[in-house]
Amino acid sequence: MVITIKLRGSLIKYFNGQREKTIEVPLDCSAEEALKLAGIDWPKIENFGFVAINGKRVMIYDKLQDGDELKAYSKISGG
Amino acid sequence: MLGYQNNILRINLTKKEAKTEPLRMDWAEKYIGSKGLSIKYLYEELKPGIDPLSPENKLIFMTGPLTGTSVPCSGKLAIAGKSPATGTICDCSIGGHSALKIKYAGYDAVILEGKLDKPGYLFIENDKITFEDAAELWGKGSHEAEAMLIDKYGHDYSVISIGPAGETLCTMACINSDYYRQAGRGGMGAVMGSKNLKAVVVNGTGGVKIPNIKEAVKRIAEIEKEDTLQEDNTFVYDGGTTAFLEACQDGGILPKLNFSDTTDEDWTKYNGEVLLESLEGKRGCGSCGLGCGNFLKMGDVVCEGPEYESISVAGPNAGNSDPVAIVKANQVADDMGLDTISAGDTIIWAMEMTEKGIRDFGVRFGEMDKYIEYLKLIARKEGIGAELALGVKKLSEKYGGTDFAMQVKGLEYPQYEPRGSWGMSLAYAVSDRGACHMRAYAPNEEVFAASIPPYTPEGKGEMVFNLAQWNAVKFSLCICDFWGTLNMELMAELMTLATGKEWTAADMAEVGTRVINIARAFNQREGFTAKDDTAPKRLFNEALKNGPGAGQKIPEEAFEDMKQQYYKVLGWDENGMLPESLLATL
Repeated sequence: MVITIKLRGSLIKYFNGQREKTIEVPLDCSAEEALKLAGIDWPKIENFGFVAINGKRVMIYDKLQDGDELKAYSKISGG
Repeated sequence: MLGYQNNILRINLTKKEAKTEPLRMDWAEKYIGSKGLSIKYLYEELKPGIDPLSPENKLIFMTGPLTGTSVPCSGKLAIAGKSPATGTICDCSIGGHSALKIKYAGYDAVILEGKLDKPGYLFIENDKITFEDAAELWGKGSHEAEAMLIDKYGHDYSVISIGPAGETLCTMACINSDYYRQAGRGGMGAVMGSKNLKAVVVNGTGGVKIPNIKEAVKRIAEIEKEDTLQEDNTFVYDGGTTAFLEACQDGGILPKLNFSDTTDEDWTKYNGEVLLESLEGKRGCGSCGLGCGNFLKMGDVVCEGPEYESISVAGPNAGNSDPVAIVKANQVADDMGLDTISAGDTIIWAMEMTEKGIRDFGVRFGEMDKYIEYLKLIARKEGIGAELALGVKKLSEKYGGTDFAMQVKGLEYPQYEPRGSWGMSLAYAVSDRGACHMRAYAPNEEVFAASIPPYTPEGKGEMVFNLAQWNAVKFSLCICDFWGTLNMELMAELMTLATGKEWTAADMAEVGTRVINIARAFNQREGFTAKDDTAPKRLFNEALKNGPGAGQKIPEEAFEDMKQQYYKVLGWDENGMLPESLLATL
């Protein structure tokens, strides 16, 4: 299946400054697995924040469906 | 210690006298500067129970030992006094360049006492201090007043001013500098207005002594390159705090319709991408390495910002998705010298009161022409504005609607929905100046990270304490919040470089705890206890309908449990009071 990964905050560096990429992932893929396939080894990123599927915060192990948008955020501070 | 000027400028406005005195270095060693040191001075010098709008209140502009050095993000100024909005201690952190000017003029702080006999402004240039007439400035918006003063004195001078809101003693009045930077919360503008003080014009041509300057400057530059300017901090250059909007939307903490729900399907109509299409220019504060300021031009409106708070309160929380109205509301509030959060929250409460038929305040959700008009009326206390200027606490006590009067101790809620981030309800409740997101920024751990789940009370006391301790140190060094990766070790190293005294991370942590405690001690002396660390009933009684937190409301017992956890971490009793043994250490 095909999904779009969008990066926010300092995570953009993992796509060399691009804010999004469309990639192919296996059926029943989780957010975590999709990020790893895109080259984002999130447990090793100190400032990794949270993920959202289709604009809604989810757990890193939640599953994706065909056509989903997966957003990954770095932590932000301030207010 | 070096880094300080060892010099306080004390101004008696009643007598029009200016004197200097040595800095209390023994206090500086315990509280450092800015937030912590200004609260210590006020704790020692203000009698309990004074009227914050009386000449007995003091207004302190306090720098820190890093101010005026090459340390990045060190250009903020603490402005502190007793708050007329809450009756608590209140310290604010204002950007711009005034902190550097005060320090280069040779002062660690300016302490303003008493009251002028008629509207005036203060002129400070090194050791030249004069008291000037403000008849031509009084009544003018903060922007026009600042422009007139810059016209008169030149761009080397920094202006700290109030708008009409400060002049009418509106408790939502802020203090402005550099046109669009504010000491926003708690009514510090009203304190300045109560002293008949329209502005302070300041310039300084001196410097700051630090030990081993060559080595220090080299090391500070390394720290800036290795830490300050990494992507985790520089995202604010790209969009300022507009970046928060998307994160809060997806994270389920963007408030909607006076905190009656979260998430807004129209958020892309006013998000950072849309707003920044109208970008005209950028700027940063003194000594800043990050440059978060965005100047927008939309139609005939030019404005720096809007920041996330101002976007949210005039956007989804007001039932509005028109970005021009959001920018216009920001510009008007800034010129009037009004806190966008408190004024906005009051208007949106009034919208809900009208919608529910409890009381007709003549404004409904989405009516932004009226929202903007009401900002002016509140600032000038004219018409309906005279009532709305009371703020949601007093208004709801008078008319009802207390369940959705989103405030703590009389300070209105910042724009993070706590049912989506339970620790934020605690942070708001125990903040030293009423509901504030700048003491402990809970979403950073509960929502924007996977560190700790958002919808549970477990661990929240310790979490809020750790965040509050970190910010208390940072704001006592007067470093900007946006240097988000700054840790205790780096702060200790910067203090060592600037002062020549050896500081450790443990020392920094101790200072942070001490600052939290002295602020609490001030409030405790004013009569505040655990019963004042509250949350609006909306959080307990109404579940969110949308977003990842759909179905969530905070059980009241969970909220009380979080409070007790926090008190226990700090060694306070069950009533949130410092014991005598702890008070004696302050």
